[in-house]
Amino acid sequence: MSARQRIAKALGAATVGALALGLTACGGGDSGGDDGLTTVGFVAVGPEGAWREANETNIQDTFTEDAGYELKYAPATNLDQKSQIDAFTSFVDEGVDVILLSATEATGWEDSLKRAQEAEIPVILLDRGIEPDDTDLYVTRIAPDNIEVSTAVADWAVAAFPEGANYFVLEGPAGVSVVNERNEGFDAVAGAQASLVKVGAQTANWSTEEAKSVVETVLKSNDNDLQFIFAQNDEMGLGAVQAVQEAGLVPGTDVKIATIDGTRNALESLAAGELSFVAEYNPLFGETALEVVEKVLDGEDVESSIVVPSATFDSPEAAETALPDRKF
Amino acid sequence: MPESLPIVEMVGISIAFPGVKALDGVGLRLFPGEVHTLMGENGAGKSTLIKALTGVYKIDDGEIRIAGEPRRLGGTADAQHAGISTVYQEVNLCANLTIGENVMLGHEVRGAAGINWRATHRAAGATLAKLGLGHLDPRRPLATLPLALQQLVAISRSMVAECKVLILDEPTSSLDANEVEQLFTVIRGLRDQGVAILFVSHFLDQVYAISDRLTVLRNGRFEGEYRTSELERAQLIAKMIGKDLAVLKSLDAKESRRVRTDEAPLYAATGLGRKGAVEAVDIELHRGEVVGLAGLLGSGRTELARLIYGADRPDTGEVAVDGEPTEITTPAKALAHRIAFSSENRRDEGIVRDLTVRENLVLAVQARRGWARPLPRREQDAIVAKYVSALGVRPADPERPVRLLSGGNQQKVLLGRWLATDPEILILDEPTRGIDVGAKAEIQEYVADLADDGLAVLFISSEIEEVVRQSDRIVVLKDHRKIAELEGGPGVSAESIVTVIAEDGLGDPSADTAVREEATT
Amino acid sequence: MSANAHGPAEALKGLVRRQYFWGIVAIALLLLVNLVKDPGYLAVTIGSSGNLVGNVIDILRAAAPIVLIAVGMCLVVATGGIDLSVGSVMVVAGAVSMEFLSGAPDTLGSGLAAVGLVIAVSAALGAVNGVLVSVVGLQPFISTLVIMLAGRGLAKVITGGQNTAATNESFRWIANGHVLGLPVVFLLALLLAVAMGILVRRSALGLMLEAIGMDAKAARLAGVNRRALLLTVYVLAGVLAGLAGVFATASVMTVDVSRTGYQLELDAILAVVIGGTSLAGGKFNITGAVVGAILIATLDKTVVFLGVSSSATPAFKAVVIVVLCLLQSERVRRAFRQRRAAAARPAEREAVAA
Repeated sequence: MSARQRIAKALGAATVGALALGLTACGGGDSGGDDGLTTVGFVAVGPEGAWREANETNIQDTFTEDAGYELKYAPATNLDQKSQIDAFTSFVDEGVDVILLSATEATGWEDSLKRAQEAEIPVILLDRGIEPDDTDLYVTRIAPDNIEVSTAVADWAVAAFPEGANYFVLEGPAGVSVVNERNEGFDAVAGAQASLVKVGAQTANWSTEEAKSVVETVLKSNDNDLQFIFAQNDEMGLGAVQAVQEAGLVPGTDVKIATIDGTRNALESLAAGELSFVAEYNPLFGETALEVVEKVLDGEDVESSIVVPSATFDSPEAAETALPDRKF
Repeated sequence: MPESLPIVEMVGISIAFPGVKALDGVGLRLFPGEVHTLMGENGAGKSTLIKALTGVYKIDDGEIRIAGEPRRLGGTADAQHAGISTVYQEVNLCANLTIGENVMLGHEVRGAAGINWRATHRAAGATLAKLGLGHLDPRRPLATLPLALQQLVAISRSMVAECKVLILDEPTSSLDANEVEQLFTVIRGLRDQGVAILFVSHFLDQVYAISDRLTVLRNGRFEGEYRTSELERAQLIAKMIGKDLAVLKSLDAKESRRVRTDEAPLYAATGLGRKGAVEAVDIELHRGEVVGLAGLLGSGRTELARLIYGADRPDTGEVAVDGEPTEITTPAKALAHRIAFSSENRRDEGIVRDLTVRENLVLAVQARRGWARPLPRREQDAIVAKYVSALGVRPADPERPVRLLSGGNQQKVLLGRWLATDPEILILDEPTRGIDVGAKAEIQEYVADLADDGLAVLFISSEIEEVVRQSDRIVVLKDHRKIAELEGGPGVSAESIVTVIAEDGLGDPSADTAVREEATT
Repeated sequence: MSANAHGPAEALKGLVRRQYFWGIVAIALLLLVNLVKDPGYLAVTIGSSGNLVGNVIDILRAAAPIVLIAVGMCLVVATGGIDLSVGSVMVVAGAVSMEFLSGAPDTLGSGLAAVGLVIAVSAALGAVNGVLVSVVGLQPFISTLVIMLAGRGLAKVITGGQNTAATNESFRWIANGHVLGLPVVFLLALLLAVAMGILVRRSALGLMLEAIGMDAKAARLAGVNRRALLLTVYVLAGVLAGLAGVFATASVMTVDVSRTGYQLELDAILAVVIGGTSLAGGKFNITGAVVGAILIATLDKTVVFLGVSSSATPAFKAVVIVVLCLLQSERVRRAFRQRRAAAARPAEREAVAA
């Protein structure tokens, strides 16, 4: 009886172990790098939404074998930073040529980056920044500027509500640098406008479902006296649209909703008049990343921050024009 | 000499539980260098009194003096500080730790770098050796030991703490004669060192063998304190049960033998065995007959019973029930063949402590029906009413969680559960262990009645006398083998069975083939 | 199931003795806090479409998925096990239904087919748990952890890592529709919870599960078929989680592979514990689990209504839960009783101390 239990326990441990290995080694493959290819380790975020999907697919499509690269793609397990650090460490240990990093969380990267530095592996941050932002620890950060993008939303809001408005902010998870930056850019403009009154802010964890539930309650606690919702990503904005409709109000008329990211779903919603403003947070910077990697490997200097230009869409017509060749 | 002064003096102790006065003005004195026995039926308040002394229960009234000083014992830690150690009725050890860890728990030898396991195990070994258990490897898991040895390990543990008072609550209930003697040697040793020992046991022989003084409780009241040498057994029993000796007489009454009408056996197994547990055994059970399994602890009695019931899966052997060849590999299959088995391990394998009396009684019947066909409340009530009164379960409250009942009453509920399945074959493993004289007599009588009614009963007890008294036929086991089968009768006694066991293998090469021998004087 | 209540007074006393009583008190207190912030909080009005509208209705709707997984968890916990995979089964269910509906016509038939598909898939996942636990003999914690990790991966494979959206009015109605003015989703959850309650208490399933959870060895010797029962329970828990996944995704008609059902197993476990079922197994209480689930939904909604900032939200929830668990703890309750009793009869205390 005890022997059988022991076997069962061992089996259990083995299953979990194998699973854990499988997850961290995802996209790892053998530490190749021969046949003249440059090995690039991509510590990625993984499935998070359409924006991330577009961004990471674009990177993967750019660093191809035809272009002379072997890309090792390592997405995080359930957005967990620890799994990212593990993947990063194993890239350093196997000695890849360059590491691309999209950090799920801003803090806690010093030790990993120092290890890469000691191993003389250049690290390029994609999209997400780190905190404290020590530019000595990485080569450059390529990203659309969150502050710039959220400032655009605020500028639009100031213009769209000359009479003033009550507004609510749907945030991403507390403490994430994107959230802080998007708040910073938006608050700098909107906060200075006395006619715009912030009735509150809550996290909906980037999720449509949670955003719907949050907005449902926020509308009640404010007796529907809300004219504007700023959703820090498209998914939450789409949830807000549904909550507004459920409350018997008309999105775009009674409550205007602005979002950041600019995914196809959001532009369709904008074209239908449900969303009122979409600020693109351009995910398609694979080409820029490729140029930077080539420069770095050739030993050239690059700026410590490279801003990817982003567009904004403020009308159904603008959305319809952009939709046909929307890639994400 | 301080011998005249008690080390522990409990005066006028009263403890009330909701609805029950568990102790009412009870007194107890323990003297250094004496073995003192606490006597009383189950429910008389022995356990409560012990728990008051060990700080588990708070007393409502009365005073506890230790070495003449009034003490308030707020918990077990207080009691341990006062030098009072306890070994409880049911072994309370950690089965997944090693023997040594169990012995030394809380007293590990510490070095500079935390616990020094080598030294700890060495100290454990030394303690065990003092108890004559030097052959045990302190590094083996406790779970590998039989219950009896676990008990001795529990006693070793209490000896590690320097104790002035050692409480042994039913320490011998699962020990065989040799082990009891071993324990008594240790107890006498401790007594001679001046330790005051409080001993609780249902075995009168043992009480008279070991104790210097005894206190009798009945129904939560103090009956008296006596020197053991000055109190006759009959008097003692009369004081415990508070009436004349009728109950006791039924215990000793010579039964008239049941006559087996020579029909085919209800159950027949040939070569039934399981590796490491029982070597191939042939056994037959007939309707209306009590078959006893006799043998020392570890001889394979329980293992054989478990094979018959399918609690363990047999490796070898053929089984026929009512002439039909069949395989019994799980308890559910056994129940389907109307075989019921009451385990010796009442606490872990018998009753389900947190279920009520009613739920425990109907559990096996319900399991046989399957969960989708619930037993109607009316039928449940009928089962409950029948067995609560027939077996005299007290208190007769079917909605009371069974853990609140005394050991004897739990055993009755368990017996009732199996009887409710309307079995044809009933296997009873140690049905009378650790229960008081009165309940024991009731259960024995009930078993005899069942056989009279036509059940086939397989009866197992570590008290050979009890097996002899109860059985029509006795299968003797030794070292996981069947060594003899004896027809009950005037010629068979505990002594003759012990002789069979002792002489087995002594220069008799045909012992293995002599599976069935008639014992005559 | 209830104690022999002879009148309202006895019924109330019986309620107070139940563990989940404090859960009800906590819900009442949270509602009271909201009421202080906004006196109109509890108002339920009839909306434009003839449906009941109000914060309380929102809470009931939000509680529905948690009720389902809590009921399933309650049964698993009764056997002495635990099911960590409920959140992942939810996301698989969401992924399956959204992926199916995105390619199917917007008809009642495809809505029903999606629900049927979910039941089949989630029963299969539950059966894997059940087999790992009962036949292979793995610890429930490990078995369900495997499905918890693998399930979310499976959902990503099903949708290709995307957050798939779909359109199907009848499927959407499950989470957003109304019957008699009340949200369908809560009525369904309540119906399923009551059905489960009747199933376990009217049949002998409850007794068997408790027997296994309290003392597996004794139950086996009593002839209880542990394997079949464990398999049944894990399949039930799987199906309930799958339906909870339908509730969650039908609400917005989108499955979010990294967020749907994320960490909801913890909410379910919490709801079960608040409801007075011990994680050690044995006695269980489905009503309690439902109360626990409603409490968690109330807490989530209260945080938003009060406008507690995102960063303070976890701490706020933790404080409420810790206080509740303290109130439920037998030891703390006894300490309270003793203080009260001591205050009532100081003279007797003197006597004992003397």
